Parts: sequence; C-alpha cells; structure tokens
Amino acid sequence: MQPWQPSVEGKMRRRELAKAAAIVAVAGALPLAHAHAQSRAESLRILSQAGPNSFDPIGVGVNRNAIQVHWNTYDRLLRFATTKRPDGTLYYDYYKLEGELAERWETSDGGKTITFHLRRNAQFHDGTPVTAEDVKWSFDRVVASPIGRSQFSTGSMTSPEQFTVVDQYTFRITTPQPDRFTLPNLAATYGVIYNAKLVKAQAGAGDAWGNDWLKNNVAGGGAYRVEAHTPGQSVTLSRNDTWKSGELPFFRRILWQVVPDGQARRSSLERGDADIVQDMSPQDAVSLSQATAGTTQVVGVPMAGAFQFIGMNGTLAPFDNVKVRQAIAHALPYQQMFEAALFKRGQPLFGGVAGAADGTEFPQPLGYATDPAKAKALLAEAGFPNGFETTFSFELSLAPVAEPVSLLVQEALGRIGIKVTINKVPGGQLGTLLEKKEVPFFFEGSAAYLNDPDYFFRIFYHGATRWNFGTYRNPEFAALVDKTRYETDRAVYQTDIKRMITLAKQEIPIILLWQPALDTGMQKSIDGYKYLFHRQLELRTLKRI
Amino acid sequence: MNLLLRRLLGMIPTLAGVVIATFILTRLIPGDPAVFFTSNPTADAATVQAIREKLGLAEPLWKQFFIYVGQLLHGDLGNSITTGQPVARDMLRLLPASAELTFVAFALAVGIALPLGIAAALRPGSFVDHVSRLVSTAGVSLPTFVSGLLLIYFLYYLAGWAPEPIGRLDPFAIAPPTVTGFLLVDTLAAGDGAGFVSALRQLVLPSVTMAIFALAPLARMTRASMLGVLHSDFIRTARANGLGWRKIVFTYALRNAMLPIVTTLGLVFSYMLGANVLVERVFAWPGVGSYALNALLSLDYAPVQGFMLVMAAIFVLVNLLVDIAYTLLDPRAALLHHA
Repeated sequence: MQPWQPSVEGKMRRRELAKAAAIVAVAGALPLAHAHAQSRAESLRILSQAGPNSFDPIGVGVNRNAIQVHWNTYDRLLRFATTKRPDGTLYYDYYKLEGELAERWETSDGGKTITFHLRRNAQFHDGTPVTAEDVKWSFDRVVASPIGRSQFSTGSMTSPEQFTVVDQYTFRITTPQPDRFTLPNLAATYGVIYNAKLVKAQAGAGDAWGNDWLKNNVAGGGAYRVEAHTPGQSVTLSRNDTWKSGELPFFRRILWQVVPDGQARRSSLERGDADIVQDMSPQDAVSLSQATAGTTQVVGVPMAGAFQFIGMNGTLAPFDNVKVRQAIAHALPYQQMFEAALFKRGQPLFGGVAGAADGTEFPQPLGYATDPAKAKALLAEAGFPNGFETTFSFELSLAPVAEPVSLLVQEALGRIGIKVTINKVPGGQLGTLLEKKEVPFFFEGSAAYLNDPDYFFRIFYHGATRWNFGTYRNPEFAALVDKTRYETDRAVYQTDIKRMITLAKQEIPIILLWQPALDTGMQKSIDGYKYLFHRQLELRTLKRI
Repeated sequence: MNLLLRRLLGMIPTLAGVVIATFILTRLIPGDPAVFFTSNPTADAATVQAIREKLGLAEPLWKQFFIYVGQLLHGDLGNSITTGQPVARDMLRLLPASAELTFVAFALAVGIALPLGIAAALRPGSFVDHVSRLVSTAGVSLPTFVSGLLLIYFLYYLAGWAPEPIGRLDPFAIAPPTVTGFLLVDTLAAGDGAGFVSALRQLVLPSVTMAIFALAPLARMTRASMLGVLHSDFIRTARANGLGWRKIVFTYALRNAMLPIVTTLGLVFSYMLGANVLVERVFAWPGVGSYALNALLSLDYAPVQGFMLVMAAIFVLVNLLVDIAYTLLDPRAALLHHA
C-alpha cells in the first residue's frame, strides 16, 4: 500500500463518519428548528441596561433590576388591583388591594388584627403546598434583616411575635395600633412568601435565613421560575404551569438580556429582534415614538411617587433663609428645563396653585411661576441684593437630564446675581455627601413606593436621614408628620395633609421639578403592559397579539 | 531557565505592591459604600451602621487590610455586591470573554498592521504608504465607540448583514458546556458547528472595531522601525552583496526592527484586554472592563481590587513574555543583567 494514499479502511471510516454526522445533524437540527419557530411567538425577549444582582428581595445592595425577577417568581399575600390610564395603559391601583396567596382577609379588634385566609390549592415550584407556616417564616425573615425591618416598620411590623399561625391556612398579623400602611406593605416588594422548608433544607449552617442561598436561588411559587441565569448577562424564565394565584400568563418563556448601551438596545428593537426595551432615555423615547410609525411603540408613564427636584440645604446659609429659597424657586426657567432636559417625557410639578393645597395628593405642582423680577426683590428682602456665590452639584449617572438642568439653573440664577459653580460628582458619591449634609445646592431624584402623602412627607420632608433632602426642620410640620401617622379620621387627616402641603409650598425646602416618565419601547404586537410602582416589568399580564 | 525563575520571583514584590496600592486607592474613593447600598428611603442611620458592619467596613483600615490579605492567600478575592457573585468566579467567567475578543482582534490587527507597515516602509511616499498613514490616523482619531456604533449602524441596522450586536452567541442558542471559556474552542469541543459559526459571527463586529483601534500604533511603529533599519549600513552591505530582497527584508531588516514592535505589541495587547470598556459596552460583550467600571461606579471595592490585581498580574506576565521574545530576537538582550 502506498503511504500517501488513504487506506480503504480509512475511506470507509471517513464516509461512515460523514454519514453519521449528517444523521446527527439532521436529527439534532430538525426538532430544534421546529421548536424554535414554534416557541418564538410564545417567548418574550427583553433588553435592559442592567441585570439583577440577587434573587432575594431583601439584601444589602440589591438593585432595582432584581425586582423584575422576584416580582414574577414569587407570590405575595396581596397585590394592588389594576386600573387603566386615560391612554389605556394598565396601571396599579394603590388604593385597592386584592388577594394573591390570600383568598380573603378581614380586620378585627379596631383594625389592630388582620386575619388572612390562604388559597388552599397554591403550591411552591417544587410542589409543596403554601401554608401559614411559610408565611410566618417569610415575615419573620423580613423583620430579622435591618433593611427589611426598616421597611416593614412603616407598616407597624417590627417583631416576629406579631405574626401568628392560626391553622394551616390561616395567618394573623397584630399591630400595636391600626395602621393603614400594613396592607400596602404586604403587596409591595418585601412581602414575598418563601418556601420555608426548602430554604431551611438548603441553607448552610450559620445562615438561618438562607441569605446566601436565596441570592442565587428562588424558593417561591410565582408565575415564573428561573431557568437559567448568567450574572450580568441574561436571565431565562419559564412559565410555572401550576400557578394558581391568577390567570396563567401568555408567555411560556422569557429571555431577558443585559445590553448596557442604549443605542444598541434601540437598534435591536427597531430591527425587530427585541420585543421589549427597558430604560430608554427621554431623548430616545421621543425620537423613537416620532420616527417609526411602523412596528414599534413607546409607552411612557409618569412614575408615581418618583420625582426629580432641586434641593437646598436648609441648615446652611444662605439657604436657611426662606426668602432665598423662594427667590430661587421664582428664578428657575421651569418650562425650558422641562423641554431641554426631559423632552417633556413626564408630568410637570411646576406651575399650579400657589401658596395653598390643591387637593390632598402629593407630590403636586408647587405654584411657583418663573418671575425674575420677583426673585430679585425676594433676594433683596433676604439681605442679598447683590446675590451670592454657591455650587450646584449633581451625580454623573444622572447627567443626561442633570447637565442641561444645571446649565439653565446657572444661567437663570446668574441673571438675579447668584453666581453658580457646577460640581459634577462621580457615580455613587452624591449619596455619601448628602448623608453628611455637606451639599448646599443640588439636583437629585428619588421615589417612594407607597402613595399616601404623609408617607411621602415622612421620608422626604422629615427626620435626620439624607432623604430629608432640604434638611427641613419646621416644628409644626414635624408635629403634623407624627400626628398623621396613625390618623384614622379621614377628615382630620385631610385637613392636616392640606396644612402640610401649604407649608411645603410656602417654605419650599426642595423645589420639585417633575415626575419623569418611565419609557418602555415595545413591538406593536406586544400588549398588556402594566405600570407598577417599582417600575419593573409585570410579566404576567404581557401578551403577543 | 535560571533567568526565567528569577523573573518569576521578581513578580512577587511587584504584585505585593499592587495589592497595597489597590487597597489604598479603593479606600480613597470618596463615597461610603454602606450609604450607597442602603438605598431604601425608609432606612435610618442605625440601618446604615448595621450595613456597614455587615460589609466589614466598620473595622479599622489596618484590620480590613489584614482580612483582605488573609483572604487573598486563600485565593479568595471577596464578593461582588453588584453581581452578587464571588469575584474570583466572575473573573473566571468574564476574562475568557475579554481574552477571546482580544486574541481575535489582536490577530486581525497584527495581520494587517505588520504587512502594511513593512510595505509602507519599503516604498515611502507611495500609495501603500498613504494608505498606512490614513489607517493610522483614522484608528487614532476614531474613538472605539464611534467606529463600533458606525459599524452597527451600517452593517446591522441598515444592511442587516451582521448579526444583532449583542453578546457572544445568538440569543436563542444554547451555550456549549464551559471548558476553556473561549466559545470558539468550546463549541468545537462540543461538536457544535452551528454554535461555532454563531460565536464567530458575533465576534466579527467587535473584533474589527478593536482591531481598527489597535492597527494605528502597530502600523506606525512597524513603519518607523523598518524605515530606520532599512537605512542602516548592514542592509546596504547586504544589498551590495546581491542578496535577494526577501532575504534582506524578512531575515535581516524585520528581525532587527522587531524589538520596538514587540514592545508595542505587548502594550497594545494588555491594553486591549483590560481597557476596552467602550467596545464591551457597545456590543454588550460580557468582559472584565465593563465589569470593573460598573463596580467602580457603585463603590463595590472587592471587584475593583480583584480586577486591578488580575490585570497587574497579566501585565507583568506579558512583559515577561516580551522580554523572552527580546532574547530570542536579539541574543544581546539576554546578556544584559535583569533586575
């Protein structure tokens, strides 16, 4: 046999191999391709700027994107009902609760005891039934963590003794006083129900609450389960077909990928490769909603409870002078800021009724019109006829909106003699400076989960935390914050709230600018988008039409 | 061999210095992680303090440092809060992604830049020389995110030739079992031809973007270095002796011109591996650069320290390789005393 010729045996083997490979390829490819075409319609592909850093709702540094996982993979006892915005977009109804794992509930003992009757057919993902024991363990876990307790204490829940198992399907919460925030807290993000047995079995020694295990695992019974997760890249969810707490969702599979660049997300949506694109900039939202009359849509919903504002440290001169704060509020070019920085994607909190409450909702427009002459007069009255110098800070992560705002602030205040230096703070650092109360004048944004006006005032106009952005310390206001906490008389409550709104307008510790819109880009074929207080996607109502 | 061992031992003080420097540098970042990570507005000062203790940041600095070094000795780089994973695991997952992209882009850049630079040096002022100059200028002046976005716009958005510029694989493809972390290798190892093609397609745009950027310094350095050597006496002698141009250019000129080129190669490679945040972000490429940047912006100390340490080690290793290449290219280099 000549060495350079392949042997007959070799030829045979090669041919067989090729044949085998072809069979494998055909056998492998066919069902796959088939399944692929079939499942694409029932799969939802989401692109967002960042991914979840934990599956556990309660943990240190858990990010906003994590909510999208645990909201859809866990159930809670209660949920907010659904209403519709004028444009037809589904919206959560903060003032109306409905049962999720609880079939019904009743209050007794003057509102201090709440008894929940659990759905009897509910199961966790592993098939074990959901019992009152699990509910108690879950709430015990919340109050055992510092962050969880600080949230639950806003609903008067601070200690495990308040949570009682009555029988397998009956669970009771007692609070020291009737508290209208107890129930909303259970429908918010911390009140998830864990599969206690599973967590206890999986958690290692020295980790009684499964803090390490729950970061990377879901022990819930929600409408979706986590199929795969590559941190920082993608999450795959699959539908839990045994879900009993509501109508079975449309999509069988959710593929959620992290694409940090906004342009890349947008082009993928326009090409039809992505179904939903989250975290759109106001600029993109405007141009996309104008550009493509064809296949995509942009849903923009002003974020309830969220707001952007200009803060002034009320304990530092010259901002401790109420006339200076009013002067600045009169000097700002609100409409220009709204157009240049936000491209009008949001709900204005400027304009409106001046000096008095307009209803009991808050945040509401503060009633300051742009009026440089009045601003100059107020500044003179305050003892600064020639103005003063100050620095205006914002964090670079907010730059797309904050940058134009700061330039307009600088220009407008320059006209009434206030010399403003702009200070751009690197990402993550403004919080620390605010905590130390070192920043005199700044742009920031924040959000409250629960919509009651007193809740808003308690966080943002009261107390020693950095969220009291104006370091507001008016004894009358502080007394009203305490008084409204457990007020059960509706009329008294509303009178008090109106007084607080009046003070917030007259003394203007922070200048509210607007509630930005949450802009989400979607294929036109996607329907059932629902806006939720936590600003992440409700996957259970989405469908393809 | 002795030399190699000495050099490897010499890495230890360098890395120790890096450990100290990274620790101090991260602590110098203004901003308190405990405050940053307590992002719930219902939290009061006591909650922030509880978080600070939980993160181990309530200890005095020297104690934190000793805890950190103790962990390092066990191969533990700490935990990332931004991804919720151990940093060592993150690095193992992300470094191959960066490395695969870098290798392909580097090969592309070298494959184009060296011939281009040589050709330009052989015919200064010619058409090839102008092309080389144009490429270098464009590569330097076009930031990678601009060239990346332009490529995406033309090839994906308008023409639809390129695949969706997101990640390392087709979104609906199933990733092969991880062996090396290099998808090109892993798909082949798993006998997954379609996966290999998918991974290769995803690589095209980002690697071309990176290559455009890396071309410039390489082509310029090759041209300058070759030009210098081609004008030297020994080349004239070789020419006078009637040696073939192939022999003159590749055996004599190129070998002598290689030293500065190899130095540039080492620098460019290290830079591409760790500092291509923009390319990684534009193409949603899960690499170490954007990982470290995210960590830095969220005051997450452990990943930043881990990244700096790993990158420093790679820099030192690449330098070592460059030095070894020196001794192979120019035996005189081995005679010099190394520190």
